[in-house]
Amino acid sequence: MKTLMRKSALLPAVFALAAALGASPALAEDAVNVTNLSYRTGPFAATGTPLMNGQRDYMLMLNERDGGVNGVKLVYDECETGYNTEKGAECYEKTKGSSIVTQPWSTGITLQVLPKSNVDKIPILAPGYGFSPMSDGKVFQWAFNPPASYWDGASMILKNISEGNLDSLKGKKIVLLHLDAPYGKEPIPLLQAYAEKYGFTLLPIPVGVKEMQNQSAQWLQIRRERPDFVLMWGWGAMNVGAVTEAAKTKFPMDKFVGIWWSGHDGDMKSVGEAGKGYRSISWSLPHSESSVMQDIKKYVLDAKKAEIGEGEFDWVFYQRGVLISMFTVEGIKAAQAHFNTKVVSAEQLRWGLENLKLDEAALKAIGMDGMIAPFSTACNNHAGHAGGWMLQWDGAKFVKVSDHITADAEMIDPLVQTEAKKYAEANAPWPINEECKM
Amino acid sequence: MLYRTVGQFKTSYHADHALFPVKQDAWLLGFILLIAFVVLPATANEFVFNALLIPVLVYALAALGLNILTGYAGQLSLGTGAFMGVGAYACYKLVTIFPELNIVVAIALSGFFSAAVGVAFGLPSLRIKGFYLAIATLAAQFFLVWLFEKWAWLYNYNSSGAIQVPNIDMFGLTVAGPNAKAVVQYYFVLCVVCLITWFAINITRGRIGRIWKSVRDMDIAAELVGINLMKAKLSAFAVSSYIVGVAGALFVFLWRGAAEPVLFDIPLSFRVLFIVIIGGMGSILGNYLGAVLIVALPVLISFVPGALGLPVSSAMVEHLNTMIVGATIIGFLILEPHGLARLWAIIREKLVIWPFPH
Repeated sequence: MKTLMRKSALLPAVFALAAALGASPALAEDAVNVTNLSYRTGPFAATGTPLMNGQRDYMLMLNERDGGVNGVKLVYDECETGYNTEKGAECYEKTKGSSIVTQPWSTGITLQVLPKSNVDKIPILAPGYGFSPMSDGKVFQWAFNPPASYWDGASMILKNISEGNLDSLKGKKIVLLHLDAPYGKEPIPLLQAYAEKYGFTLLPIPVGVKEMQNQSAQWLQIRRERPDFVLMWGWGAMNVGAVTEAAKTKFPMDKFVGIWWSGHDGDMKSVGEAGKGYRSISWSLPHSESSVMQDIKKYVLDAKKAEIGEGEFDWVFYQRGVLISMFTVEGIKAAQAHFNTKVVSAEQLRWGLENLKLDEAALKAIGMDGMIAPFSTACNNHAGHAGGWMLQWDGAKFVKVSDHITADAEMIDPLVQTEAKKYAEANAPWPINEECKM
Repeated sequence: MLYRTVGQFKTSYHADHALFPVKQDAWLLGFILLIAFVVLPATANEFVFNALLIPVLVYALAALGLNILTGYAGQLSLGTGAFMGVGAYACYKLVTIFPELNIVVAIALSGFFSAAVGVAFGLPSLRIKGFYLAIATLAAQFFLVWLFEKWAWLYNYNSSGAIQVPNIDMFGLTVAGPNAKAVVQYYFVLCVVCLITWFAINITRGRIGRIWKSVRDMDIAAELVGINLMKAKLSAFAVSSYIVGVAGALFVFLWRGAAEPVLFDIPLSFRVLFIVIIGGMGSILGNYLGAVLIVALPVLISFVPGALGLPVSSAMVEHLNTMIVGATIIGFLILEPHGLARLWAIIREKLVIWPFPH
């Protein structure tokens, strides 16, 4: 048993260092730490980076323009995960002492930290991603996925491709091309429920992380199956791989529809004209002339506080990142007003996120009108179900091609409740918010 | 001076076969165990437990399992990650089918599943050797990960395809799941790891260990002196996979808390193999040294810029980290191709004769 020897000889030094650093964040007075578990490295960096930039720049802009939120500075740090769940869990441990919110940025990491949220009492903010049943706020008291869950997205896409008449899907064949990870599998239960009810055939085709860049096998299968529509739950290098392959096999682009994470300008730019007609559902609209974007340009980009890529400013993802940071900030504002305090704690922020009231007037006040549909959260509704719009690639940029679409609550709610219940039972004892009477 | 062996006489064969013929080794071990069992738990915070101590122990255990197969019995394997997965999924099924089962029993049993799978994939080793065997175990790696993805029964038909660890109590203390305290989990892992290490040391220096080593060094010669190669190789696969399976169960249940199939993919196998190669093949101590280098060092490096107050973005730190760790690995291998364990052995030899080298 000399085995343990050398290990421990190294550890005390090691450990003193980590203990000193891990536990004591250097916080200035009147500041809140809002750390982001970012990924600017790894196979998903291309899609991650503009989102992280948008998140960062909104925070920087508020610090520059208003000195933070009601006089409280926003400390925006990043912990790099590379979309790796192991790194993500490590980052969570590293940041949970200081950050008042956890932004896991991957469904895999969300699943990993979700059970701990009740114990550590830090809200998880997973805007438009994560585990869809998280919208049930009674069960998932600490998790938030505003403004819409993946199931909302799936429902909205089906509504749009059937032109509002879901019965017209009868007898059709729909392929779900998805990343073979928890994220890609999210919509399957809901789509299956829809397939049963409306009589269409659902064919999920998984794309492994290793085969993201070369999807010839999947597209061969798609050609053989001749589906009426292909829906895509893709991310990172998978999006560009799929769109390239679709263009190569001459798949009609107007039958190819992606979730909001598969509508990235950078991916579409690489196919350009060939991708014309591709659609992607989105809960956000890019609006570069809005006052918030102009302020970011003025206070952050022109002032050289941060740098972003060429043309990135107009991208859907960059501006979506701005909206995501807005959720945190509005949560902080709500908590400040309710608890009559300046520096909010993680538990107070939870209340704030549960009581977001983003109506037209509120969005106008922060200069974001037209970028997102108004919504509000409640103790039983952590998603807000804001709905969204269908965007279409016109060869150079994404343009809005639909009216506002909302998800079909009748289909989703029962599934949310059963899945949330199943989760709570599998993880018993799981605390349920009994005070919530809604 | 510190390591003087002069005057430590052995008067019987029994004494000569002791685990520590040199007294200082025993003291050093005692000191390290004292740190591991008393000092660290008293001083570490949750981050240190979850990001440094528990992962180092779990990875060291997995490396120990692989080292028995590769370092002692000479059979190269690239399927370690998948065998860890077998242990983890077996443990998950056992715990969900029999919720009353004690977690220690569940983990101990899950090792047997992994051992059975290991033996099945070890059968080709009777005919093929070296790199060809590595390819055969690679097949196990791909097949098993595919199975974890496709066989929905394994993850109880969970819609996300991931397994989640429920809260598990033992003697009134929560040891696994979200409510478990990090220090409890650390003690649990430490005890299991110590127990298995003790078992591994004794099996590798006894009759079975010698059989393995003879097979490793020259299997034709071993066969000629009457060693049953089939028994020797398959027993190595069984013991190795058992330990790897237990490490996999600990990996998910006592550390990660949730797992998706892709976690057990080939990068995990390579990571464990690197620990073995850098730590030292055919050594038990090496697994721990390798695990510290591969698992703990990157975590520590990521703190350095912050501690020095350098304005380096976290993505940049990650890039630097990859480069530094890569350079360190190459550096150590140039310095001592036989791994860190050999490096320690050389240092120890020098210490024994210090300060009078002649």
